[in-house]
Amino acid sequence: MTKDELKDYIDTHYQDKMKFLDTGRFDLMYEVTKENLLEVSKALRDDENLKFDFLCNLGGADTREHFEVIYSIASVTKRLRLDFKVVFPYDQAEIESVQEIWPAANWYERETWELFGIQIKNHGNLKLFLLPDDWDQGYPMRKDWDAPDFIRMPEL
Amino acid sequence: MGKLRTEEFIVNMGPHHPSTHGVCRLMLTMDGERVVNVEPYIGYLHRAIEKICENRTYPQCIPLMDRFEYVTAMSCDYAFSLAVEKLAQIEVPERAEYLRVIMLELNRIASHLLFYATTAMDIGAVTPFLYGFRERELIIDLFEMTCGQRLTYNYIRIGGVSRDILPEFVPKCREALNIIKGKLSDYQGLLNENPIWKARTKGIGVMSQELAVAYGVSGPNLRATGIKFDLRKDDPYSIYDHFDFDIPIGQNGDVFDRYLLRLREIEQAIKIIEQALDGIPEGEYKTKIPFRFKPPAGEVYSRIENSRGEMGLYILSDGSTKPVRVKARGSSYNHLQVLPEVAKDCLIADLVATFASFDIIMPEVDR
Amino acid sequence: MGIIKKLPYYSEKVPGGSIVATQLEAVLNFAQAKSLWYLLFGTACCAIELMCTGASRYDFDRLGMIFRASPRQADLIIAAGTITKKMAPRLKRLYDQMAEPRYVLAMGGCTIKGGPFYYDSYSVEKGIDHIIPVDIYVPGCPPRPESLMEGCLHLQEKIKKQKLNNWQEK
Repeated sequence: MTKDELKDYIDTHYQDKMKFLDTGRFDLMYEVTKENLLEVSKALRDDENLKFDFLCNLGGADTREHFEVIYSIASVTKRLRLDFKVVFPYDQAEIESVQEIWPAANWYERETWELFGIQIKNHGNLKLFLLPDDWDQGYPMRKDWDAPDFIRMPEL
Repeated sequence: MGKLRTEEFIVNMGPHHPSTHGVCRLMLTMDGERVVNVEPYIGYLHRAIEKICENRTYPQCIPLMDRFEYVTAMSCDYAFSLAVEKLAQIEVPERAEYLRVIMLELNRIASHLLFYATTAMDIGAVTPFLYGFRERELIIDLFEMTCGQRLTYNYIRIGGVSRDILPEFVPKCREALNIIKGKLSDYQGLLNENPIWKARTKGIGVMSQELAVAYGVSGPNLRATGIKFDLRKDDPYSIYDHFDFDIPIGQNGDVFDRYLLRLREIEQAIKIIEQALDGIPEGEYKTKIPFRFKPPAGEVYSRIENSRGEMGLYILSDGSTKPVRVKARGSSYNHLQVLPEVAKDCLIADLVATFASFDIIMPEVDR
Repeated sequence: MGIIKKLPYYSEKVPGGSIVATQLEAVLNFAQAKSLWYLLFGTACCAIELMCTGASRYDFDRLGMIFRASPRQADLIIAAGTITKKMAPRLKRLYDQMAEPRYVLAMGGCTIKGGPFYYDSYSVEKGIDHIIPVDIYVPGCPPRPESLMEGCLHLQEKIKKQKLNNWQEK
């Protein structure tokens, strides 16, 4: 399938659950709501024509208005690629875990919780991972984080 | 006599250990000599590269991406440049593409020689360490002639490469490739039929195809299980579709297959470089980009085939000179996650051999 | 080295005894400088250059230096690579386990003052000299094998000047 055929296929079969965004500059980018996340992921993995069984990337982002979690998936047998994201405001920072569908998501979600503070439901192993064991200074990747020994590069 | 009482105990293979490739801590739960459970603890090399990139302009991020995976630093530069070029739709001249492919494939050979040297030393053979580094020095000389650095190059920039090659690069490169081609049979003659090597690597650390795909394993580790998937052929980038090369695959997915596959990939890389050296066109080596470079707002995820697996970069931009979010995805992150599943019920010596054959580099895991 | 520390005090009292102390000092310093065994402690990029220096083309063994895996058997620690806040207590523990006399060589920009990770990083320890006392600094990112060997030769010169009863005083 080419990229245009993939776009037509998803627009016909999943049009009420996945909304097309035009910010993706090379691959297709869709937006999925928090409630539909597990259903859409399972459908994308089990669909006979798509078979998205390879999770490439899962990460959080803090634009200065809201939180986002971006999923990048691919298919090994059908040679296809797709991205989708979930957007939510700062005071509702929790999301379902997709590790039942793609087992590779386990460590990616643990890291997103540790650096951004987004709670992951049904994960089972949310412990400190990359930061030191006695870290108590908050969630460092947020845009409004600061600490006494954090030196910012001066503007030239 | 009653039944003998046994208990499991915990052994800490600490962050400083001569056979971990970088600083990785493994907590092993042992029952006698058998390993029951492995739990990796990481974060000893977490340098916050993603946070630093949010306060640098796009060309200033490239030396930082060199340090993300220093053994194949050319690939990291290339992954970042490719993502920005996709975001801003920049055209790259053809001479620059040929030079990029030559540098990427030379870096792949150097990385596989380092794998050969360190894996053989972990399993106990010391001679391959000296052989591997001796040939790697020939390639490092070529890099030093072109860009002045031995390990962190900062050569592939947004829009092309940073400087042109000297006239004596092409004959010296052909000579180095001829020497390496001749020595490959020496390397295989040392180890392939050796009974100690075969006893320590055949049938050890077997990974099945379903496990590999479910955990996101890519690169030579995936090809050793029998799946023929290589991003240079299945999702081509740059000018790889002009060249003619094979993709070697393995059968069993054990340590011996992973080792032999990487030596065969060196032969294929030499084939690609010889085809590229024969056909370098004349022309520009760089497109001019403005001094305060501002790509349009949007996001992109681009992936390339590194010598370890798939390396991906996600960039989110809002139209200013600095990126909003850069997420770097290294293949060793997934390979370390699958290690507890592969290393169930093995002896400690087998765990060391399996860990060495995955070719894990810790800064890719910790960033 | 306990008995040897008291030797200059007793040999002062005997006429011609101080010659014994200086000759013994010269022999012991020469023996120590020409066979330093270093601990393999490589965290990041500088570790690859350390391995290259110990391999075929630039050979560390001709200076008498061999790598050891255990800190009990080493007398030089080459700290190669970035040290993060999580790794710093482990470095201190390794240094404490080494037997005296012991020396430290800080290799690369990251161990001197943080290197390229000085600005904007929340988890990098900016320099190792507030954790362990450093003898020689070798700058570079990463330093070439020739610079590292020059640093080791300077360390050998420093060892030849040390005194018998207080090996840390110059």
